[in-house]
Amino acid sequence: MEDKEILEKFANPDSRNLAFNQLVRKYQQKIYWHIRKMVIDHEDSDDLTQEVFLKVWKNLENFRQDAQLYTWLYRIATNECLTFLSSKKRKFFLPINDVAAELAEKIDSSVNISGDEIQLKLQKALLKLPDKQRLVFNMKYYDELKYEEISEILGTSVGALKASYHLAVKKIEEFLKQD
Amino acid sequence: MNNKPKNITLSELPKHNVYQVPEDYFDRLPTRIMERTAASPKQDWLPAQLWQNLRVAMAPIILLAMFVGVFYFTLNSQPDKQAMNMAVVTDTEIVDYLTANATLESADFADLNTIQHQELTADVLNVSSLAAEEELEYYHLRDTDY
Repeated sequence: MEDKEILEKFANPDSRNLAFNQLVRKYQQKIYWHIRKMVIDHEDSDDLTQEVFLKVWKNLENFRQDAQLYTWLYRIATNECLTFLSSKKRKFFLPINDVAAELAEKIDSSVNISGDEIQLKLQKALLKLPDKQRLVFNMKYYDELKYEEISEILGTSVGALKASYHLAVKKIEEFLKQD
Repeated sequence: MNNKPKNITLSELPKHNVYQVPEDYFDRLPTRIMERTAASPKQDWLPAQLWQNLRVAMAPIILLAMFVGVFYFTLNSQPDKQAMNMAVVTDTEIVDYLTANATLESADFADLNTIQHQELTADVLNVSSLAAEEELEYYHLRDTDY
């Protein structure tokens, strides 16, 4: 179902639930994986994904159709991730490096994570990046979004995003060279 | 054999998702989300379309209402009090006050046509007939045609 059709059906109280169910089915994986790559843990990702869709449910009527629906969804998910990570740091009075270390520990120990050595090392390298730079990298490298789309999601200029991405790639490749 | 990676660039790496989810997770997730939306109904206290149209204008409307409110409050509060105070003063008391405390000139009587049905006594004018005659003579008012 096209986004436009979903929005039209959502506007009608009789077909609202059906339309929202379609929306969830269409975008759940993109949103979940976007969140999962940021918070690493499945349980946290599951909670945040549900929170994102609850917010979408409550605010979809106010969605302005001059933006793409999926960039709006990404923006809500991104905000949820950043809020979650910053609250995690505040809650445990952790510096950024300790949060990264905790998440890296999950990569080693979680039963829901598997991959060869270099892939796991890549994930740990990503955790060395600041949260917003990691977001940019994930959206560009894994989700293959255009800079213009990322710009709409993050509210950052295309030029700044390009610089951030290339810097992230350099840092990651430096990390991968290390023993 | 040393198989540790050296000088690897990202472009050489396959994009592999190392993360996994429990079995049937994405089959069950929509149902779980829909259950939560049913428990958390939307709050339609204002029709969404109306709110969409209004929300941009809300800030200036509130600001304007505040200005108008403050303006009327400052404009009306003090004069109302004065008008109320004056309303309880009788005409007799006003005349008594003017007789006792005010210095009246002939120009002040120009407004007296509004109370023409009331009798103005010599006591009110506070002038003798002789003094009045002298005033008329002095200002050559006797022959003036009004």
